[in-house]
Amino acid sequence: MSKVMRTVKNVTKGYSNTQVKVRNATSNDPWGPTGTEMSEIAQMTFDTGGRSTDFFEIMDMLDKRLNDKGKNWRHVLKALKVLDYCLHEGSEHVVVWAKDNIYIIKTLREFQYIDEEGKDQGINVRISAKELTSLLLDEERLRNERKDRKSWKSRVHGIDQ
Amino acid sequence: GTSRNVDMSRSESDLAINIKKATNIEETAPKRKHVRSCIVYTWDHKSSQSFWQGMKVQPVLADEVQTFKSLITIHKVLQEGHPVTIKEAQSNIGWIESLSRGVIGDGARGYGPLIREYIYFLRAKLQFHKHHTEFNGLFEYEEYVSLKTTNDPNEGYETISDLMTLQDQIDSFQKLVFSHFRHGLNNECRISSLVPLVQESYGIYKFITSMLRAMHTTTGDDEALSPLRNRYEGQHHRLVRFYYECSNLRYLTSLITIPKLPADPPNLLSEDGEAPALPRRPVQPEPEPTPP
Repeated sequence: MSKVMRTVKNVTKGYSNTQVKVRNATSNDPWGPTGTEMSEIAQMTFDTGGRSTDFFEIMDMLDKRLNDKGKNWRHVLKALKVLDYCLHEGSEHVVVWAKDNIYIIKTLREFQYIDEEGKDQGINVRISAKELTSLLLDEERLRNERKDRKSWKSRVHGIDQ
Repeated sequence: GTSRNVDMSRSESDLAINIKKATNIEETAPKRKHVRSCIVYTWDHKSSQSFWQGMKVQPVLADEVQTFKSLITIHKVLQEGHPVTIKEAQSNIGWIESLSRGVIGDGARGYGPLIREYIYFLRAKLQFHKHHTEFNGLFEYEEYVSLKTTNDPNEGYETISDLMTLQDQIDSFQKLVFSHFRHGLNNECRISSLVPLVQESYGIYKFITSMLRAMHTTTGDDEALSPLRNRYEGQHHRLVRFYYECSNLRYLTSLITIPKLPADPPNLLSEDGEAPALPRRPVQPEPEPTPP
């Protein structure tokens, strides 16, 4: 059902293919984002010049997802995951963007959401935000992980891998 | 540019709503999402003027819970907001002090003493930042730009001593909060004021530890530093106790990780042990802040 609604929304709101890709990868579905989705998005962040606006569209959409409300904690969590992936496999622009806007991620370290059953769904967001913050503050580690992909793959893998 | 794509026309009215909701009359913690929006606003706009203005139009004096929640919100925004927030807060100290006028004595729900102590603490914090502009609101270790004061032992001594005074003020405030828990209530609103206190005290602790170590290395004068060492040890034991008491509050441990300190203070004269390591020196020095 949610998938149908998302497809309708994608059409009525006139989202571009790039935006649709990010929206799908960071949806409220209890699965994903897949490694394939993240890898595709990361590749698209290299398009920044000329007529292509992929990079900006991706970052805008991730930004929206990161600032979503508690009920949509999966949006936030998955956006952190996609961002983490793009920081490793995406263009250098992603690194610059994330460093410039680190307060968006830092302030998620206290993200809160308790669901109707009293379950603390915010915890995964808090943990991911903490990890991403310390990665962004550690220039050397980030450089190394961008060079050597194996070292971080175990942490940021999609469920189809 | 790489900045966020913010809808500036909407953000002002959104901020007003966030401030209103963060400081509403319900006896709970100020909701994180609203506090976060206030923090993010100061970064997006590189200004906190609208935050202060928004605060001032709220009827926060009408109710002691509202007053207390606004003080927590202010504290969080000072800690996590854009650095300009602390600078701009200096001209709002008078207004912060006026917040004590809303409650007489203990107040119906007992927030009177807490409000007065919170104001006293925030004033001390702002005073500290006014004299030591190199520190950010959370005394964050990894972001510290330099240990320049340790190059000048006199200045370093004074900075450490001022940090310790602030740490003592956090300690007396947290004790007051604990002593004002009400039996049979969940105390969420009171407990939520401990969140920024735990974070700030740990930031200060890590700084003092590494600065004192650096001072011992640079001066080699253990004798002259012994008063600071003694004070440090006393503070270490009080912090262990504070964090232990916090670790028993489930609401608090679900929100933040309570730091775990060794039972005994680390040896400041050696590099090993369980103390946090010295921060790395910055690759590039930050530009000097322009005087106001």
